[in-house]
Amino acid sequence: MLSAADLALVLLILACAAMRAVGLLVAGRLRTDHPFVRWAASVALATLTAFVLAAVIAPGGILAEIPLVSRVAGLSASVAILFWRGGLALPVLGGLAVTLGLAAL
Amino acid sequence: MVFRSACREALGAPALAMAATFLAFGAAVQAAGLGLGWGLAAGQLVYGMPGQMVLLAAVNAPGGPLPAVLGAVAANARFLPMAVALAPWLGPRGPARFLALPFIAVTAWAMAMRRLPDIPPADRITWYLGFALTSWTVAGLSTRLGYAIAPLLDGWILAALLFINPLYFGTILAGETRFAPARRAVLCGAVATPLVLLLPASWALLGAGLVGGTAAFLWGQRGKSGAERR
Repeated sequence: MLSAADLALVLLILACAAMRAVGLLVAGRLRTDHPFVRWAASVALATLTAFVLAAVIAPGGILAEIPLVSRVAGLSASVAILFWRGGLALPVLGGLAVTLGLAAL
Repeated sequence: MVFRSACREALGAPALAMAATFLAFGAAVQAAGLGLGWGLAAGQLVYGMPGQMVLLAAVNAPGGPLPAVLGAVAANARFLPMAVALAPWLGPRGPARFLALPFIAVTAWAMAMRRLPDIPPADRITWYLGFALTSWTVAGLSTRLGYAIAPLLDGWILAALLFINPLYFGTILAGETRFAPARRAVLCGAVATPLVLLLPASWALLGAGLVGGTAAFLWGQRGKSGAERR
């Protein structure tokens, strides 16, 4: 007998697999420059942007323990390092260092 | 060769972001009193952090599992547009594309949308599987490790680990703004972000993404010039 937590997890796993499958099926015959594909990419990028900014500006849970100014400065530092030096690990670690350094002050 | 190079690529900054986030998730599963098996199944088979976190937070709330599942599905509903956007880039049509299905998640998707256009179509699914399997493995190992060391991680360490995730995706998005369509999507997504605070929590991200992404798409259609398409 599944517990409520197990049942919820099984349902979520099935739902997530179904969303991925429907996306692959729907777009399976479309070209990369089809308007529907470009719209979907635009929605996915905008969703990711909202996720990042919400996590920085108004996070829930444990992230709220980091002060707002540290979070904003950290993301700004990551972006600045990206445009200055490029790469991916360096901007992420630099941004984290700025976040934690400011939070520790 | 393509597979190995994709694996190596996934072991850089993407692995750092994955490891930090799933380490924190494993610790949160342990703190919630759920078993390691539940945490591993969530991490590896749901494989979408916002939905995992929503489910974890709501699974023991009164009202049964259905509200928790609906909230988590809405939080992960971006899988649908992500899969639509990714499918045409996965090389020749055919069943091989469906090998990517379990691994369509934001880390691999974001890197794939950047890298696949420069990879020959026949090699694209191999690249995707190399990158995604590596990220997926890192996620599983990190969930297990986070579960094991949960008692050692205080609030500050967990917060720092979790904050690596928005820094990582923020950096990727900033890099994407070199391209006009992505620049419009990021800009409109930023403008729509206040909706996250106004909409019901489970629909907030998708709502902001739909509004911002559709506005960006329509903006691009209005000033459409074929030359600026990726």
